Amino acid sequence: MSEPQRTPFVESLQDAAARVQLAGSGIGWLDAARRENLEAFVAAGLPDTRTEAWKYTALRALGQRRFALGDAQAAARAVDAAAFALPGVDGPVLAFVNGVFRADLSRLNALPAGLDLQPLSQALRGDAEPLRFALSRHYREGGDAFARLNAALAGDGVVLRVAAGAKVLGPVQLVFVGAPAEGDLAWHLRHVIELGEGAELSLVEQHVASGAQQHLGTQVADIVLRKGARLDHVTLQQAAAGGTLVRRDSLHLGEDAQARLHVLELGGALVRHDLHATLAGDRARLATGGVFVLRGRQHMDTQMAIRHQALDTASESVWRGVADERSRGVYRGAIVVAPGADGSDASLSSKNLLLSGQAEIDTKPELEIYADEVKAAHGATVGQLDERSLFYLRSRGIPLGEARAMLTAAFCRAVFASVSHGGLREALDQRLMAHLPSA
Amino acid sequence: MNADPAVPGHDDSTKTLMTTETTDRSEISATLRDNAEVAAALGRRYEAGFVTDIETDSLPPGLSEDIIRQLSALKHEPEWMTEWRLQAYRHWLTMPEPHWAKLNIGAIDFQAISYYASPRNRPKSLDEVDPKLLETYDKLGVPLHERAKLAGVAVDAVFDSVSVGTTFRKELAEAGVIFCSMSEAIREYPELVRQYLGSVVPIGDNYFAALNSAVFSDGSFVFIPKGVRCPMELSTYFRINAGHTGQFERTLIIAEEGAYVSYLEGCTAPMRDENQLHAAVVELVALEKAQIKYSTVQNWYPGDEEGRGGIYNFVTKRGDCRGDDSKISWTQVETGSAITWKYPSCVLRGDRSVGEFYSVALTHHRQQADTGTKMIHLGKGTKSKIVSKGISAGRSSNSYRGLVKVEKSASGARNYTQCDSLLIGKKCGAHTFPYMEVKNPSAIVEHEATTSKISDDQLFYCRSRGIGEEDAVSMIVDGFCKQVFRELPMEFAVEAKKLLEVSLEGAVG
Repeated sequence: MSEPQRTPFVESLQDAAARVQLAGSGIGWLDAARRENLEAFVAAGLPDTRTEAWKYTALRALGQRRFALGDAQAAARAVDAAAFALPGVDGPVLAFVNGVFRADLSRLNALPAGLDLQPLSQALRGDAEPLRFALSRHYREGGDAFARLNAALAGDGVVLRVAAGAKVLGPVQLVFVGAPAEGDLAWHLRHVIELGEGAELSLVEQHVASGAQQHLGTQVADIVLRKGARLDHVTLQQAAAGGTLVRRDSLHLGEDAQARLHVLELGGALVRHDLHATLAGDRARLATGGVFVLRGRQHMDTQMAIRHQALDTASESVWRGVADERSRGVYRGAIVVAPGADGSDASLSSKNLLLSGQAEIDTKPELEIYADEVKAAHGATVGQLDERSLFYLRSRGIPLGEARAMLTAAFCRAVFASVSHGGLREALDQRLMAHLPSA
Repeated sequence: MNADPAVPGHDDSTKTLMTTETTDRSEISATLRDNAEVAAALGRRYEAGFVTDIETDSLPPGLSEDIIRQLSALKHEPEWMTEWRLQAYRHWLTMPEPHWAKLNIGAIDFQAISYYASPRNRPKSLDEVDPKLLETYDKLGVPLHERAKLAGVAVDAVFDSVSVGTTFRKELAEAGVIFCSMSEAIREYPELVRQYLGSVVPIGDNYFAALNSAVFSDGSFVFIPKGVRCPMELSTYFRINAGHTGQFERTLIIAEEGAYVSYLEGCTAPMRDENQLHAAVVELVALEKAQIKYSTVQNWYPGDEEGRGGIYNFVTKRGDCRGDDSKISWTQVETGSAITWKYPSCVLRGDRSVGEFYSVALTHHRQQADTGTKMIHLGKGTKSKIVSKGISAGRSSNSYRGLVKVEKSASGARNYTQCDSLLIGKKCGAHTFPYMEVKNPSAIVEHEATTSKISDDQLFYCRSRGIGEEDAVSMIVDGFCKQVFRELPMEFAVEAKKLLEVSLEGAVG
């Protein structure tokens, strides 16, 4: 590997880091972790496409851009709450604008019993020790640049704990709003989410834009499910058309824990989502489902890795991708069955529609199996809408654009059939339909 | 190996051309005896494990421009060939060794390898072939000499880098087919070689291909002229014999407009306790409406139960469907080698051209295989089909790595891929890494993969019918591989089936 250059991107963030006063600074271990991660980020810079995890996502253009760190005026930015309102869905709300916690947009009064929900900046003012394990992590892989950057510069985020046995089902909403500012901003959020033994949580994560901007947002979430805990997590990503968003979710499932994740990716110019799940306890189960629908010059890269490392674990993944115009959709879905993880049952499906001659789909399902009492299968396809179905709809008087939208929606919709919250399922459907061009 | 630490390249060529000492051979036999005892004690049969005593001319170990010049001079090559080799060597020096494959490889000392070895008494005809050599082929069951005719197979046997016997030349010549060793082709058909050599796998293509281009020892050259259907299956047996002698075959097959050829390659190597490097390059060119079918049964020494010894097999195989409506089909059965790094590929350049890849890869003990294919769709209406069956046993690691790439120009391209893995035992690994890159909206690309172990139900059923466990496993594995075996020419299919049985011994129970 050649010596990485100090690109304008690295330079601007390194300079900003020297000036900024992050929440929690003064806590010895946190300062050390931030410093070391920053050094690692500056030393390695952004990965190039020779790094396997970034093979299909070139960061050269991003590397030439400069970002200001944080938004001093975040508290004053006007935000239309309708942008993230989900009809039929209530419950606590924690909202951030340009990476800064906004109490006025949040709803934290009368939290259900057993739920501890607060911004990280606030949690760090109290006893920070319980956060030490998560926040003093080091990221060593070659492609971990954004995780390092996040660990170095995140000053806020979500701390969410559900006590053992508690049920929090009126979904907790996490809202991240990007609002226009004087220049291009970079914000970094760090989330720590923990479900105690037998706890249940329904969680909705939304990324929305309040006006056009080209910010960079990164977020890193550590989600831990203790024995028998259950999580329902829905992500609705409608970031600004010019925005760059890099998310990394690490999920750890204990014995008998169950998690269901659903992702709908519609927005952003350059979006990257890393989803790493470890089925660490016996009989843990994970279901993931995701849809991306891309237009214009959007670039979406999902990197999912599921690791089965206990007995009788199961995972099922269903992903659908649609790429139109000049967009590019990238998907990697890796399933690893560790030695001794007998009884693992894993399946993965990645189906994609390529709707334009300028668009591209790169998909790579992977299996890495080290145990023999295993059932593992994956399938992947890239194709287009069925001509005969289109013809049928048109023969019934439905215009071509609408017929295409209908078939595309049907192709994607199957993923969300397993969302248990009725209101959420409807919201996902509705956003999807609204996003598809019907003319 | 060589007691005399001659500095390569500083003496003149006659001095450095030396004969392997007899003392070395006795060492080898001693090692072999130990190996044979170990193999016997562990109940493993390796039928091809023996060494033939034949005096060998070798270049001293080491690699430099001078060694390459000497190698080229030894083979009486023209100046352009020497230059081509040197160019490849200079490029190779600038390249890093690749590490992306899922393989655990010890460092390879390229200076410890001797890049040329040839049997001493060059025979003028088959009757003059060293009887010991013929005996070797006898043990391997090569249908050379009289039996070759009976089997209807033309054999171009590569023994330590130089072809020693070629049969059926006359019959092929009547059909206008050229089938000879690469060294001969360079001398006799320089224009054809210059036109096509390196046109599919350029000298700088990858690390091992560059090395091969610099030091390739010999190989086969096949040219099927326009409209000719090659009257017989063409076959080559490769064999690695002298210690420290990496073999670097170079095979080039050209099928002109409307021609057809089926080429078989089979290999087996004697047991030896040192890693031997093998880096081959195979280039196929199919012009308009031509068809090339290339089948391989690979059974090189895989190393012992603990992974000692065994062949390192780094192969670049690529077919170029240059003409419209052409077809290239790869079929491989890989049971040998300690390390296999091999991705037979098709560049589907011509419109409506077809690429196929059928593979069975079996790994046992500590074998490691990272193999698969690449299908590059460039022409309109191109089609490709991939069927890969991986079987892992013991503590082995078996990976499928494939790429299906549909470029913008490839309207209506179609791919179907199926990768299945079978696990036998708790300590092995089976991996699948398919890459799909699609840039044309009228293309359809499909991939399916499964991994499982041999089903208890199937085993129980066979056992209840009085079939022993090993036989039952072998039947089930045979069924698992059937889709690939039926693509093999018949005599190869029989051999492949037998190979799987032998290779799987001791895997169950």
